[in-house]
Amino acid sequence: MKDQLLKPEMSALRPALGEVLKILEKEAPYGAVSLSSRETTQYLVDNKQERVVAGKPTAGVILRTFDGRTLREKALGGFNKEDVIRGAKDFIQGVEYASNGKLDLGEERSGDFQTEMENDPALVPTEDKLEFLREMNRRVRAIDPRIVNARVNFRDMREKTVFRDRVADLAQDIQRVNMTIVVTVMGDQGVVFDWLSRSGTAGLEILTFSDDELAGLVKKAIKLLDADRVEPGEYQLVTAPGVSGVICHESFGHGVETDMFLKERARAASYLGRRVGSDLVNIYDDPSFPGEFGSYFFDDEGYPAKPTRIVKNGIFERGLTDLYSASALKIERSPNGRRQDFTRKVYPRMTNTFFGSGDLPLEDLIGQVEEGIYVSKTSSGMEDPKGWGIQVTGHYGFEIKGGKVTDKMYAPIGITGYVPEVLSSISAVADDFKLDAGFCGKGTKETVPVTSGGPHLLMKARVG
Amino acid sequence: MLAKIKKALQDNPAIKAWIIRQESILGVQQYELKDRTESVRDVKSELYTIDVLCDSTDPEGNPSSGLGTISLLPEAEIESALETAVLTAQLVHNEPYDFAEPAPIPQLELTDGEYLQDPAGRIREVLDTLKRTTAGYPHVRMTAAECFGQEKKTHLVSSTGIDAQQTSTDIYLQWVYIAGEGENEVETFAEVRRRRIEDLDLTQGAAQRARYTLDLLAAGKPQPYSGPVLVQGETLAVILAGEMLSGSMLQTLASASLKYSGETPWDVGKSIFREDVRGDSFNVWANRRLPYGVPSSAFDDEGIPAQRVALIKENKLASFIANQRFAHYLGLKPSGAFGSVEMPAGSTPASELEEGSYVEIAEFSWFNPNPFTGDFACEIRLGYRVNDGEKTPFKGGLLVGNLLDALANVRWSQETGFYGNYLGPRVARFNSLKIAG
Repeated sequence: MKDQLLKPEMSALRPALGEVLKILEKEAPYGAVSLSSRETTQYLVDNKQERVVAGKPTAGVILRTFDGRTLREKALGGFNKEDVIRGAKDFIQGVEYASNGKLDLGEERSGDFQTEMENDPALVPTEDKLEFLREMNRRVRAIDPRIVNARVNFRDMREKTVFRDRVADLAQDIQRVNMTIVVTVMGDQGVVFDWLSRSGTAGLEILTFSDDELAGLVKKAIKLLDADRVEPGEYQLVTAPGVSGVICHESFGHGVETDMFLKERARAASYLGRRVGSDLVNIYDDPSFPGEFGSYFFDDEGYPAKPTRIVKNGIFERGLTDLYSASALKIERSPNGRRQDFTRKVYPRMTNTFFGSGDLPLEDLIGQVEEGIYVSKTSSGMEDPKGWGIQVTGHYGFEIKGGKVTDKMYAPIGITGYVPEVLSSISAVADDFKLDAGFCGKGTKETVPVTSGGPHLLMKARVG
Repeated sequence: MLAKIKKALQDNPAIKAWIIRQESILGVQQYELKDRTESVRDVKSELYTIDVLCDSTDPEGNPSSGLGTISLLPEAEIESALETAVLTAQLVHNEPYDFAEPAPIPQLELTDGEYLQDPAGRIREVLDTLKRTTAGYPHVRMTAAECFGQEKKTHLVSSTGIDAQQTSTDIYLQWVYIAGEGENEVETFAEVRRRRIEDLDLTQGAAQRARYTLDLLAAGKPQPYSGPVLVQGETLAVILAGEMLSGSMLQTLASASLKYSGETPWDVGKSIFREDVRGDSFNVWANRRLPYGVPSSAFDDEGIPAQRVALIKENKLASFIANQRFAHYLGLKPSGAFGSVEMPAGSTPASELEEGSYVEIAEFSWFNPNPFTGDFACEIRLGYRVNDGEKTPFKGGLLVGNLLDALANVRWSQETGFYGNYLGPRVARFNSLKIAG
């Protein structure tokens, strides 16, 4: 069973959107109207407290006109029909629109879409969700007495959108879930922590953790108490899928969001059709990837989700666009127009971004490394699309010696380098694949849910 | 709507205490590309956030308190939403506590009066001024800029008798400078958030960015280094006060909620450092009263009045930062939200700190130490090797170390500066840090 597709007030306003569109297009060459509701509830249970916090919901209407040069938007809180019609009339008053230019609006389309799930969180009582978290907290605490706290955090995110323009009449209801278990342990030098998470566009059915996974989490957290700092230098690195994903996200993710091309911020703009990595490097972005945290049915400009190949066999093929950048750069659109919420503008943004898998078993890949580091987990990354520098912070990693991962742990591990050099150094790609979920900003704002990942990779980079 | 919500709360016998926050926001946003206005937006929203506190008993039969929070749009149905909040509050079991009692609310300077006279016009002026100022630096070009303005009105009412209102403004500006041509192009990206347009300090900011951009053109490769490292201005503010993506380490480790959960090793009256202090002593206030401070607020979400809290005195923790609940649990006076980081002026003139040989870090890619341990390994976006005043720019490499150890061995400048969420020494010379080239 699933919750209703739209909130009642959105459903009530939807039939009037044709009238709103007519008002906008009476003056403007192109008009569109969106209804957007985004709600998040966070549930937390730890050793000493419980919390259920409904985040500030954002719900409103975006009126939009575009003349091929300037995109104008009016964002109105709530879904009141009179306010929206009045707002639309005011919005187009006194504006001088340029010529339309040529907009790629895609084919005519309509449809209502909803996340496939077995256990819709909207239909599960709060008490059951809290009890599930309490049980998880109890399971983790029981593993080792050295645990100071086991924080179990569940985030329930519901996103309901209607998009209407002259070719599209669409609605989607996306359910995202994210559960993170953070274990903290106190030692002589302070507190250390490790975490485990599970995320997706799905219901509660995906939030399961085996006893082995939880035991592994606690073991790593305790081991962090004795981790060493790595001796700075250039190393052969084997990156776990999450670390590979952050490298991908920061190099040929942010750097190919094509608003960066218009702002002359992207070095990649002059590398179209040129080599940016070894033959083994294939990079994709795919909002249609089933069940992943960054997935959706259509973007915030009504463009249907589908995969985009960014890099093929080391050659940069194309970037990620929204309507504005595709129109200004005169390139084919991709389904990457995303906004944080109705109060924010659309930008070209990543969704699920990843390296393509290879055909080498992981054991064989690690077997190629005489001395190096296995970077198992990442905590953050930062882009530098113009300078093509890269900063990825590994939460921890392990020594590799004689083709085997040893028990010696390093933390933290700062990875840096020049993007084409790092990507060109990729000499082996494993046959596995995994995506890690997270939240991505543009600079320090405009947060959207994404994943990044891929297979294990073997590369060279500077580490500190 | 406020009166209706208040009545519904008062009529519900299951609710022990409540807080209503009404927030109205009016915003304007303008996005510029080098030859055109990409987008203009205006934003209007209103939201009512309601906290309800209910008493119940936990599964073991102990008395407990639970909090339920909901947010309502202006025309939303009140009764069913309140039912949800009450049900949630009754299901959540924590040690009993109460909401804050009324206390005098200070008058703070939080608004830009000039901005409020003509928001869209003032935002346009900021961007025009930035373009004009940039024209004075012919070797750099501005290829993009975004400027947002926002007026926020907050009205907080509680069952304990708090009834407080405040208006604040927020101004956000980012811009991109490019220099060079073709393969040799470089960029710098600036992002500033303040309460007033005049605090954006466009002239100084543009001059500094233009200099950084040109220096990046000439920047060489990093070399391994160990020795004094100088940091100043906005970059120093990020080290001490954090930035928009993450709070500071001070904020994390001085948090009463982490003390309650046993996750901070800090204790009142004990040194925050793990080794002897070899530099200037460290003193910090958590100041929510700082005029035009971005995190300043006359009252926080619980209605706790703004305070200037002595956080660290002579290297020792002086107090934890506690909201109402954790203050009650730990027997502390509630301080409310953290606010800005304020530090006293140091004892050394900046000119003296800038003597001899050292490395200056102008910009990191992202300074993001582990918030619990303080360990960091952060990429250098732009740095200088300095020898007796002669600066040689470089780019890349990692600054490696531990923030607590670094703060235990630093000298602070006499000169101070205000950077939105930080007021304190403008320059710091960390006596011993390492760069991995």
